[in-house]
Amino acid sequence: MRFWNVISRYLKGFHFRNIQVLISVSSITITVIVVLLVSIMLFDRFSKAAEENTFLGLGQTIEQVNANLELYVSGMEDVFDVVEEKINMASDVSNKQLGEQLDTILNTRDDLVSMALFTEEGDLVRNMPEIPMRQNTKLTEQLWFEKAVRKQGTLQYTPPHIQNLFKWQYRWVVSMSKTILYQDDARLKKGVLVIDINFRTIDQLSQRVSLGKKGYVYIIDSIGTIVYHPQQQLIYAGLKYENMESVLNYTYGSYLDYAEGEQRIITIQTVVPTGWKIVGVAYADEFLTTTKELSDFIIRVLMLVIVVVLIVNIYISAKISQPLRKLEKSVKMVEKGDFQTNVYVSGAYEVEQLSKRFNLMLRRIRELMDQIIQEQEAKRKSDLDVLQSQINPHFLYNTLNSVTRLAEMGKSEEVVTTITSLSRFFRISLSKGSHIITVQEELEHIRHYLIIQTIRFKNKFEYEIVSDEGVNDYLTLKLILQPLVENAIHHGIENSPDKGFIGIYVKSEGDNLVFRIKDNGVGMSAEAVEKIFSNVMRNGPGSGVGVRNVQERISLYYGKYYGLHFESEQEEGTTVTITIPIVKLEKELSEGEES
Amino acid sequence: MFGGKGITLIVLLTLILSACTTSRSTQNADKIMVVDMIVKLDRGDYWNTIRMGAEAAAKEYNINLNYLAPDNENDYREQIALMEESIARRPDVIVLAASDYEALGQVTDQTSYYNIPVISMDSEVASAKVKTYVGTNNYEAGQKAAERLVELTGKYSQIGIVNFVQGARNADQREEGFLDYVARFPNVQVMDIQYCGSDELLAYTLTKEMLVNYPRLDGIVSLSAESSIGAGKAVVDMGYAGKVKMITFDNPPEMLELLQEETVQAMVVQNPFNNGYMAIVAAVKAAHGERLDGKIPTDTKLIDLDNMLWPENQKLLFPFVK
Repeated sequence: MRFWNVISRYLKGFHFRNIQVLISVSSITITVIVVLLVSIMLFDRFSKAAEENTFLGLGQTIEQVNANLELYVSGMEDVFDVVEEKINMASDVSNKQLGEQLDTILNTRDDLVSMALFTEEGDLVRNMPEIPMRQNTKLTEQLWFEKAVRKQGTLQYTPPHIQNLFKWQYRWVVSMSKTILYQDDARLKKGVLVIDINFRTIDQLSQRVSLGKKGYVYIIDSIGTIVYHPQQQLIYAGLKYENMESVLNYTYGSYLDYAEGEQRIITIQTVVPTGWKIVGVAYADEFLTTTKELSDFIIRVLMLVIVVVLIVNIYISAKISQPLRKLEKSVKMVEKGDFQTNVYVSGAYEVEQLSKRFNLMLRRIRELMDQIIQEQEAKRKSDLDVLQSQINPHFLYNTLNSVTRLAEMGKSEEVVTTITSLSRFFRISLSKGSHIITVQEELEHIRHYLIIQTIRFKNKFEYEIVSDEGVNDYLTLKLILQPLVENAIHHGIENSPDKGFIGIYVKSEGDNLVFRIKDNGVGMSAEAVEKIFSNVMRNGPGSGVGVRNVQERISLYYGKYYGLHFESEQEEGTTVTITIPIVKLEKELSEGEES
Repeated sequence: MFGGKGITLIVLLTLILSACTTSRSTQNADKIMVVDMIVKLDRGDYWNTIRMGAEAAAKEYNINLNYLAPDNENDYREQIALMEESIARRPDVIVLAASDYEALGQVTDQTSYYNIPVISMDSEVASAKVKTYVGTNNYEAGQKAAERLVELTGKYSQIGIVNFVQGARNADQREEGFLDYVARFPNVQVMDIQYCGSDELLAYTLTKEMLVNYPRLDGIVSLSAESSIGAGKAVVDMGYAGKVKMITFDNPPEMLELLQEETVQAMVVQNPFNNGYMAIVAAVKAAHGERLDGKIPTDTKLIDLDNMLWPENQKLLFPFVK
């Protein structure tokens, strides 16, 4: 159970599209296929060669047996010929000299059991050695007699049988028989000569042949009677079956036999003089062991290759996937909001590059985030400033003060003008909370401001507002002129002994909308101009704060390429140029398109 | 760390796979089965033919066969010693031809402690641990002999029996089969039953006495090779050849001579080659844990002058090429 838990845990955590798994599985698959193909080819080649060798070897073994048998049999044939000749030449078959000759022949070979001459009726003429005959031999029914009589004049062989003709011994013999002519009582007669050869030599010869542990050799005659078979009794008892029918079709050669459920290699040779067939039966599983060994070897090699490939794979894929996984982890950290993570991953070149790029991207994001935070802060601050300038309590207080003074002086007409302008001024200042207003409204706003200031400063300065044809409908950030005009009045004109002049000009120049505020006040030194933007800490009333606020707002809304430009000369005056992009009123644009 | 697990899994699988293949290849190198065959005697045509059959099977099934026998056929003590030595060697199977039905029972029971299956052959043994008995159907052989003898002597006849060892399982069964068959013929009389104790000489004298005591005897049956040789010699010497019909057991060469000379009319021939072969086949099956029938009988053949030279009988009667 525990084992299964472990296994199932592994399986749950198993991703098939995991790089490591992908690489391992695919390369193992390819390796296995290639190794299999190669081994199948090799196996085929080798096993064929092994099979051929086996057939050749078995053929040679059987051929050897055959050669021995043929030699043996032809030797016996020679003996038979000699005996036949002796009997033929003898003047009388019962001749004593013939008996001596035959006895000599008989003694030359151990395996000659007996020789005997019978009449065609089956009566004994003469035998050697001279042993009395048994009763009930039924010799005329025996195969050697029958065959000799049937096929006159040709030498006949019988399969091994028990020789029951003569007393004292039963012997397994092979009989050679032939009808021959002999002289008896000076008359030429025809009889059957039989020479019995002890079967032992052939039996031992066949027993000695080894065809593996289980294989054996058997011999049958031309009609399928068993001459020699190691399991002859089992076959007669019906416990064994030897498929001899297919064997009888061959004179020589080899084939595979699938009888008995086992693959057997049958090799056949024919002993020419007797017509016997030597059949070698070898069990394929013993002789084709080489193929089994081969397949074992191939399986082992396959396993080894798979293990090696697996280890190499694990190494390579780990090299690739582990940095990726590290990268993934740090990306996850970033995802969670931790931008401080620094990724450094070593490994494959591509992965290293990826991690470098990722780091660069991360740094850029960090920078951008910081920038956004700063910008947002600045925006908030400037918004607050705008809000403040919208209400501008100082200005309100000054104006109301001058209104009071005018009212005391009874200048009711100027009071009305001032109040009206103040009201207009604030209306545009608020402008329903919108940041963007038309140029016309902005100019209206500054006009009312100037009206109030002219009254307040008792016509200490004159002013002029000139706008090009068509610019009135362009959009602008609101309250960008007022701080500059306020600046011009307080720092330029108020301190000047001469009558002041403020000119405001609006033009479109290319894609840009340009506001110019000219005054003929005291002007500024070049250093003072520089200080306007640089010195943040200066915080005097109505000073650079308002100007810087305008600059910041413009660059926040339109980008840093837009903003203020100061040209100033001491005792001559100052010209401030505001450049913003032309933005047309959308409503008008769409109306224009419709018309 | 999913990948890590995946790799561990693959490595694990590979190891298991390779372990499997190695274990399979060791299984293939099967160890050769060892069979101890303990018989009654290591000489004589009968036992040599059994050995030949056993060796044929051993070659066929690639078995290491130890053929063991005491020097004397009746020496059951030495056979018990052989059994004990064999058990100590722990062969895969023991094949036993017990010289004594009772005496070898105990030592046979011991084999079950060591899980060594025992196949009984030729002669049974008094043990329930024996997997099967391979051997001649002795009762049927007795009946065959009786059938032929009654055919020869006719339904009115006198018969004598020369048996071998009283109390030996196969002797008793042959006799029982013979008597049971003869009992169907009320006028066939069994005049005498003698036991020669597997002694040719004793068989000779006993038969002679029997022929003297019952001169009108029509038939004699002898139930073993030794008793047959003795009885045959006695019948010839007493001049009863051909007059007293004889059925004998087994096929010693001298009896075949008598068969051809028509002193013996028929002989019941066992098939020792098949016995030996079948015993080993049964041993292989037992070693593989197959269930076996309680008895595996092998046939006997009735050989007479007509069929003695049939090719299939020649090899049975003369198993050895000399």
